[in-house]
Amino acid sequence: FEMECRVLSIQSHVVRGYVGNKSASFPLQVLGFEVDSINSVQFSNHTGYAHWKGQVLTAEELNVLYDGIKLNNVHHYDYVLTGYTRDTSFLETVVDIVQELKRMNPKLVYVCDPVMGDQGSMYVPENILPVYRDKVVAVCLVGYIGLHLFHLMVLMIMLMVSLLFQVMDLLHQMGPDTVVLTSTDLPSPRGDQFLVALGSQKIVRPDGTKSTQKIRMDMPKVDAVFVGTGDLFAAMLLAWTHLHPNDLKAACEKTISVMHHVIKRTMTYANEMAGQGKRPNPAQLELRMVQSKKDIEDPAIVVEATVL
Amino acid sequence: LEAPCRVLSIQSHVVRGYVGNKSASFPLQVLGFEVDSINSVQFSNHTGYAHWKGQVLTAEELNVLYDGIKLNNVHHYDYVLTGYTRDTSFLETVVDIVQELKRMNPKLVYVCDPVMGDQGSMYVPENILPVYRDKVVAVADILTPNQFEAELLTGRKINTEKDALEVMDLLHQMGPDTVVLTSTDLPSPRGDQFLVALGSQKIDGTKSTQKIRMDMPKVDAVFVGTGDLFAAMLLAWTHLHPNDLKAACEKTISVMHHVIKRTMTYANEMAGQGKRPNPAQLELRMVQSKKDIEDPAIVVERVMDV
Repeated sequence: FEMECRVLSIQSHVVRGYVGNKSASFPLQVLGFEVDSINSVQFSNHTGYAHWKGQVLTAEELNVLYDGIKLNNVHHYDYVLTGYTRDTSFLETVVDIVQELKRMNPKLVYVCDPVMGDQGSMYVPENILPVYRDKVVAVCLVGYIGLHLFHLMVLMIMLMVSLLFQVMDLLHQMGPDTVVLTSTDLPSPRGDQFLVALGSQKIVRPDGTKSTQKIRMDMPKVDAVFVGTGDLFAAMLLAWTHLHPNDLKAACEKTISVMHHVIKRTMTYANEMAGQGKRPNPAQLELRMVQSKKDIEDPAIVVEATVL
Repeated sequence: LEAPCRVLSIQSHVVRGYVGNKSASFPLQVLGFEVDSINSVQFSNHTGYAHWKGQVLTAEELNVLYDGIKLNNVHHYDYVLTGYTRDTSFLETVVDIVQELKRMNPKLVYVCDPVMGDQGSMYVPENILPVYRDKVVAVADILTPNQFEAELLTGRKINTEKDALEVMDLLHQMGPDTVVLTSTDLPSPRGDQFLVALGSQKIDGTKSTQKIRMDMPKVDAVFVGTGDLFAAMLLAWTHLHPNDLKAACEKTISVMHHVIKRTMTYANEMAGQGKRPNPAQLELRMVQSKKDIEDPAIVVERVMDV
């Protein structure tokens, strides 16, 4: 059995390390997905290092690349995947492309990580927000958003799970059938070493009625700053929702488990490289992606999602 | 792979399909190599399709990217891998980078596919030849020319196997300790459905070489990206079988066989009975060949000592 599933991934490329397309492509390919990748930038490495250099792709150049694909009549995709984008006209061009690809294939699933910021502050230009809110989210089928981004989107203060679920339902109304809040500041029942993530997926019950499956995941906190983990998460959520359709619980358990194995392996390596008592540097903290191939292919489940 | 091994691969990127870095990266990563990749171009697809569009990286932009790596003091590589390049100043910049990386790590191995043409005609600008001949080959450690490229580099015609062996020795003198003539017009002892490739590797600590001949079945289709896959897999298997060119080539040829076979089957299915597959259908079935890449079943003995 050969899976025929083609993903168009429009993300950054770094010469060294694992963010953007570098973080997403290998794991998806290892799982058997065909990955077409448009590199929105080419940088030496991610911007958490002391230095970084490179070139960015303009909206016009993005159009030119898409045009080449289209002229050959090979613009047929099952998924589109996007992440960190800083330029509004680039993002608007992505929306145009997604809309056209959806006309070519109405079953196309657009997996969107609306990267804007974290912990109350934005790390993209503020004018990106209205593009995500008013144009992008509408065409998403799977969208996931960190809690603090959503502050900006609906100007509410979210403290309670029930309110968060209202927020996710609002997001469903704006477009996506699947929403994952990848990290929140909610207290975990497992204690303060754990971080809470929430998910919600529109489902159709056996009797034909519509509902949503809502889940909570408690994930161990790690004492390090990783880059590229969000990109890996989005790619693996794409893969595992594809392989476990209508079962967000199973898809998230696999996704979180892969993250766990990759992060754990990376932490061990980084600490070894840094040496006793020293904090690892960004180069040492690059995800141990190729070394984690077996975990990507067949992740041992280490987290149980609670269905709410 | 037991010890970490980092490759710097400077090749094309295509959005769709498998040439250049798209052809080299996945298989190397699957085998456990860390692959840093500088994309020399970004095109929608390879140039064998009816249409292609995209952007090229200038020599200056290449320098900027390398500079970023260097400023972070992470310019430590075990291998450099390069392929199809059209621009002389780009290629000269690559040479400068390789030389510096060799100063940082004297054990670095530069795997160079000196892509210039085939079947008697060049498909790059002619002024690329002197750069390869006079600068690149001198710093290459593993060289994978086809017959035409080997003739261009040495100025010698190859009419017999003896000519080919002499040309490989000439290439050794110009630089690389390992030379593989990836395809020739020489007749195969196995008949006219087979294509002859030859390899030569200097034996450590001696002045002699291990020379081998490979007989590979011809395929009735034009594949693109297979040369890039070959160079990447030769890198991998010479690393995993040092000082044993025969074993390295057996694995490399076997991987090629499995990928090409799977691709032909798929392409013919997609095209339909009696129709010739198009370039899109002929894209290598790379991700589907993962298991063959990881652990290639050796095809019937095709590699002989010469």
